[in-house]
Amino acid sequence: MHLSLQNVIPGYLSSRAGAGISGIWGKDILFNARAYVLLQAPSGSGKTTLVHILYGMPIPYSGAVCWGNEQINQINDKSLSRLRAGHLSIIFQDLRLFPNLTVWENIEIKRLLSPAVSQELAEEWLSRLGIHNKIHVQVGKLSYGEQQRVAIVRALVQPFNWLLMDEPFSHLDSTNRNKAITLIAEVAAAQQAGLIIAALDTNDYFPYTISYKI
Amino acid sequence: MSSNHTLLLRKLLLSSGSKSRLYFAMATLSLGATLLLLSVLTWWNFNQLVGGNSNSANTNTCLVIGKQITDLNMGHAAANTFSTDEIAALGKVSGVVDIGVVSAAAFPAFAVLDGNISMSTEMPLESVPDRFLDTIPDGWNWQPGDRYLPVILSAQFLDIYNYVFAPGQGLPQLSRSSVKSVALKLRIGGEDGMVLSAHVVGFSDNINSVLVPSSLIEFGNRTYNHNSGTIQPSQIVVKVTDPTQKVFTTYLQQHGYATNAQNGRWAKIRAMVEVVSLATGLLAVLLMGISMFVFILFVQLMLTRAAAAINLLWQLGYGFRYLYSFTAKQILPLAIAALCIAPILSIAAQVAIAGIAKKNDIILPLLPGWPVWLVFAISSTVLLWLLSSGLKKALQTENKG
Repeated sequence: MHLSLQNVIPGYLSSRAGAGISGIWGKDILFNARAYVLLQAPSGSGKTTLVHILYGMPIPYSGAVCWGNEQINQINDKSLSRLRAGHLSIIFQDLRLFPNLTVWENIEIKRLLSPAVSQELAEEWLSRLGIHNKIHVQVGKLSYGEQQRVAIVRALVQPFNWLLMDEPFSHLDSTNRNKAITLIAEVAAAQQAGLIIAALDTNDYFPYTISYKI
Repeated sequence: MSSNHTLLLRKLLLSSGSKSRLYFAMATLSLGATLLLLSVLTWWNFNQLVGGNSNSANTNTCLVIGKQITDLNMGHAAANTFSTDEIAALGKVSGVVDIGVVSAAAFPAFAVLDGNISMSTEMPLESVPDRFLDTIPDGWNWQPGDRYLPVILSAQFLDIYNYVFAPGQGLPQLSRSSVKSVALKLRIGGEDGMVLSAHVVGFSDNINSVLVPSSLIEFGNRTYNHNSGTIQPSQIVVKVTDPTQKVFTTYLQQHGYATNAQNGRWAKIRAMVEVVSLATGLLAVLLMGISMFVFILFVQLMLTRAAAAINLLWQLGYGFRYLYSFTAKQILPLAIAALCIAPILSIAAQVAIAGIAKKNDIILPLLPGWPVWLVFAISSTVLLWLLSSGLKKALQTENKG
C-alpha cells in the first residue's frame, strides 16, 4: 500500500509564506510500500501535525492524503477504523496510553482488537524492552520512558503496512533506544511494512530510503 | 469478543457510572412498566368480566329480562309477556349473542322438607335452557318416570332465608353445602300429581328462581296444566357480550324492559374502571418517560466521564459502530431486565386475581390477555429505541476524534 501526498498544506500554514520552502507542505509526494522515511524538522515546524494528518486525525488542511486509493479525510468511520486496526499503526509523541489501565491491559486493548500477535510474543517484546516486570503496574505510575516503551510495544501488536512514529525515542536512553529500534526493525521486516519517523534531528536509527525536511 | 476484551472495554467505558444511580433508574423503569401493565390488566380483566367468552356463563354476561311493571300495565298479565316478535327483535340487538325463554311452571308445586326441620312451601318452578346456567351441576337431568329431581336455587333466596327468615322464625341458618344435603319431597300437579325426591344441586347468581330441568317444566305443563292455549314467557334470558354496552341498555330503556339492577351499576363501575385505568395508564406512561429519561441521562453521564477513553479507543481503531455495539450490548440488557419485571409481576397479579375471582365463582384467565402483551411490546420497543438513540447520540457527542 503506497502513500501519496498531494499539495498538502495545514490550515495554520495556508497564510504563511513558509509553506513554500518546506520539503513536504504543498508538494506532490509518493511513498512506495515498505519505504523507510525520515521526516526531519526542528521543534514547532509541523511534524506532529503531519503525522496526525497522515493518521486521519481531524485536522484542517488542504490537499489530499491517500493510503492506497483511499483519501483519508474522505473515508467513512468504518473504513478509517479498519485502516487503523489492520494497516496503519502509530506511536504518538504524547503516547496516548490509558493511565488507569495496567501495562498489559494497554497492550491487550490493542492486541485483542485485531489479533495478530500471540500473548507470549507480546510479553517477550515487553521483556526485551525491560518492562515485563511492570506488566501489572498502572501505566500512570510509570516513568515517561517506561510509558514510551509500552507505547512502542502497543504499536507493534497489531498488523500494519505502515508504522508512523512521532519522536518515538525522545525519552529513552541509548541502550533502551537501541533495543526498541532493533525490535521495531524486526517486526516491520516481518510484517513487510514501511516506516515513517518524525524526528528533530537527522539520525540513522533505520536504513532510510528517503528523508524530508519539513 | 473475548471475556478479557469485554472486561477491558467495560473498565474503560462503563466503570464510571454510579451503581446506585443505575439501580434507581432500573427500579423506576420497572415501576413505570409494571404500573402501565397493571392498568391495562385492570381494564382487560373488567372487560373479561363483563364480556368474556368464558364457557361458564357468569353474572355479567347472562341477564334475565322482564317487562317493567307499571301502574298502567299491572294486572294485565298478557301485556307483560314477551311475544315471538319481541323475542326475535331483542335477539337482533347489537351485543346479544344468545337468547332463550324462562319457562315458568303452569302447574302447582309444593315442597316439604324431609328430616328434622319441618317446613313446607309452594315452589315457583322455572327452567331456562341449560346453556344459560352459571354452571351445569352433575346429575342435572330429568326424564318422565324419574323419581329424583335436581333443583338449582337462587343464591338470593338462600340469603333471604338465612338473613331475614331464619333469625325471625327461630330457624337454623343453612350453609350452601347443608342445603345441598337436605332432602325435599316435591309434589307437582296437585292431588292427582306425583311426588318427587328433590335435592338442591347448585345455586344461581343469575336467575332469581327455583330452577329445574326444562324437561320437567315441559312435562308438567303438558300433563298438569288445565288451562288451554300457549303459555307466553314473562321473562327472557339473554347472553350479551357487554351488558353495559350503550346500544343494548338504550334498547332496554326504550322498550320498557327491566333487567338485573346490577346492570346499571356495572355501567357505572365500567366508567369508573375506565377512568381509573386511563389515569393510572397516563401516570405510568409519564413515570416510564421520566424513568427512561433518568436511564438515558445515566448512560450519557457515564459516557461523558469516559469521553477521553472513547476518543483514544477511536484513535486506536475502534470504530463508532464497534463502540456503539459493545455499549448497547452492555446497557440494553439492563433496561430489558428492568422492563421484564413488569410482565412477570403482571402474570403474578393475574394469577392472584383469577384465584380470588374463582372463589367468587367468576372465571378469569390465568394469564394476562393480548392487550397487556401488546402494550408491553409497544412500550418496550419505543423505550428501547429511545435508549438506543440516546446511547448513539451520547457516543457521537463524545467521539469527537
